[in-house]
Amino acid sequence: MVKDIESKVGPMVSVLVPTFNRPRYLSEALASALHQSYRNLQVIVINDGGEDVSDIVHSFTDQRIILINRKQNHGKDFSLNGALARAEGKYIAYLDDDDLYYPHHIETLVNALENRSDCQVAYSDLYKTYCKISPDGSRQVLSKVVEVSRDFDRFLMLYFNHALHVSLMHRRDLLEKTGLYNEQLNVLIDWDITRRLAFFSDFHHVCEITGEFYSPVGESDRISVQQRKDENEYLKNLLTIRTTRPAKPWTKIKDMSIIFSPDRLNKQAGKTIGSIWRHTFYPYKIYLPLPHTDFNKLNTDMPNIINIPVNFPASETKRIDTALAVCDGEYIVIVPSGFDIEEMWIEDPLYALINNSDAREGFELEGSTDMLWAVVVKKDDLKYARESFPHLSICESLKAAGIVIRQLRPEEIPFQFDQLLQQARSAEKDGNWAQAAQLFEYIAEHHQNQLWMKTLAAKAFFKAGSHTKAAKLSCEVNRHRPTVNTLLLEAKVSREKVNFNSAIELLKRAEQILEGSELLWT
Amino acid sequence: MDITQENTAEQPDLTQHYEVLQELGDCYTSVGNYVQAQRCYEKAASLGPDEPGPYVGLGVVGLQENLLDDAEVAFRVAARLDTNCAKAYCGLAMVAQQKCDYKQAFEMYLKCLELDTDNLTALLGLFQASCQMGSFAKVIYYLQLYLDMHPADISVMFSLAALYMKDGRLERSKKILLDILTLDAGHQDAANLLEEVEHNLAQTRQGSRTGVQVG
Repeated sequence: MVKDIESKVGPMVSVLVPTFNRPRYLSEALASALHQSYRNLQVIVINDGGEDVSDIVHSFTDQRIILINRKQNHGKDFSLNGALARAEGKYIAYLDDDDLYYPHHIETLVNALENRSDCQVAYSDLYKTYCKISPDGSRQVLSKVVEVSRDFDRFLMLYFNHALHVSLMHRRDLLEKTGLYNEQLNVLIDWDITRRLAFFSDFHHVCEITGEFYSPVGESDRISVQQRKDENEYLKNLLTIRTTRPAKPWTKIKDMSIIFSPDRLNKQAGKTIGSIWRHTFYPYKIYLPLPHTDFNKLNTDMPNIINIPVNFPASETKRIDTALAVCDGEYIVIVPSGFDIEEMWIEDPLYALINNSDAREGFELEGSTDMLWAVVVKKDDLKYARESFPHLSICESLKAAGIVIRQLRPEEIPFQFDQLLQQARSAEKDGNWAQAAQLFEYIAEHHQNQLWMKTLAAKAFFKAGSHTKAAKLSCEVNRHRPTVNTLLLEAKVSREKVNFNSAIELLKRAEQILEGSELLWT
Repeated sequence: MDITQENTAEQPDLTQHYEVLQELGDCYTSVGNYVQAQRCYEKAASLGPDEPGPYVGLGVVGLQENLLDDAEVAFRVAARLDTNCAKAYCGLAMVAQQKCDYKQAFEMYLKCLELDTDNLTALLGLFQASCQMGSFAKVIYYLQLYLDMHPADISVMFSLAALYMKDGRLERSKKILLDILTLDAGHQDAANLLEEVEHNLAQTRQGSRTGVQVG
């Protein structure tokens, strides 16, 4: 396949390298981008008003490299948008100025995207390299660990990022749908774009380690880490991202409309809207049927609120029917006045509904009562119920239409992988290695993410004293994707079995990885 | 890197590189590749400057290559970095023994065994040093302690039986030798020593009878 691509020259890939005051490592980062096995590249370096890096960039004398020298510092998002304006590749890849690609990084991701027409985004795994910084600025590697190797999960991507930006490649034309980087954000800008990409494409997770990013021990100098220390600013950015809705049509996400129908726009209604805003991560619009006189009371900064004019007074059923007529979401959430939303109250039942797309059923929200009845249903089901039984209440009409409204079963809630992972991590922290090992193994068998979970299980089994089991799992991982940790574990068990030569081979491989053998050009 | 939650992250592992080199050094030592072992230990020492392990390794390499002064320096560094490092004291004892300084060897073996009663190298070293010095009381104590934990360790049982015999405690020696032969009927050294013990016992008994008659 690689040969095929090369013989056809293959599509161009634009690699964006934003840099700001870190010339010490830029040279190596650029070398890693230019020494790729895949040659059809355009490497765009954007100096974001930092120390001059012209000499470093020009020292490469490579036609494929472009330098954008900005005099003022505007932030990474601004830099990336500037670079995108110059990008000509079919695909876009990213490289931070202190991170490194392995030579097969671009080739691996291009192959993945060219072979999977259903995916326009791909990402691989990276080593997180913990290092000590010497006084002369050189990095002494302490460990290389694949900390995250998460298979793509769209629902999760809406909640938090599990694809490292440096490992990401996507089609450039997808940005016409997602929009560019949001220059109003100062943290989480990577997640903002990956979240928006998830509206339009599946992501192909390539379980190969194709690069590394550095984590200096002690205080990090990373701008993103520094900026996250402002909790309010962080929260503001988080909520901005969650409420961002790229232009429709969305090919991979069905929209959700929340019909909130208070009698009047008062303090309590404002509290409910605030709770939805703070606790809902699935894309939504709030449909607010209100009398005209209340419109000017609405805080216009609140995103995604649609005012629906209704004549006053109107019954709650009437208000909901009026809103329903203009809702464009495939899923409808009905939130009564006085019902405040908590974290996951909407997404838990919504997830079950998405996964039971054929069933004629809906789900009550946690906290829902007869007096404050909150529900999530498919719009088609609700419309059918209202058209068939307009004289009944919402609840009664759904029942009459044969739509079963039920409670969630535990196995229907989202993020089961994460909950099990958290349990296993807790067991680890408590030193209960045997329990942690069993949990990791169970997750590997039932919740994908096999290599990652087997790696964690191997370590836990070893700590629990089950060395043979640890060796078996490590060996399985090493056959597919050797990591320093699994090589070390397998070697330890080989040594215990007095198989020194085998242990030496495994440890030599681990040492080579730690000392940068993957970086062939060095 | 915008990963918005940290709950997937392990605790940072900052000793991995050190551990790989230390393990690799130990494996090279085990197969007698001392040049590579030394290279690994030296790198491990630079990564873990407070760890005694690499210096113990360098000491072992020095011992194997008969560079006793180098070995002694390395073991001393290890003992300084961790005053409870049993292996460092064992190494110092071995260096002293090679230099025929049996008193120093005996003391260092004892120090090692105080920290790690399970250290077979130190135990057998102590046995050898005590044989060379003719002082057995402390050795017997540690051999017994070791056998409480490893009751079927024939090499230690044999050493203890030999010491009992030298110390004139023939019945105890005989009992241990019989135990060895129960565990390993073909143990020729035990059979030979048993023969010697029984001969001594017979002589002792005869001497006693003669004494009675004389008396």
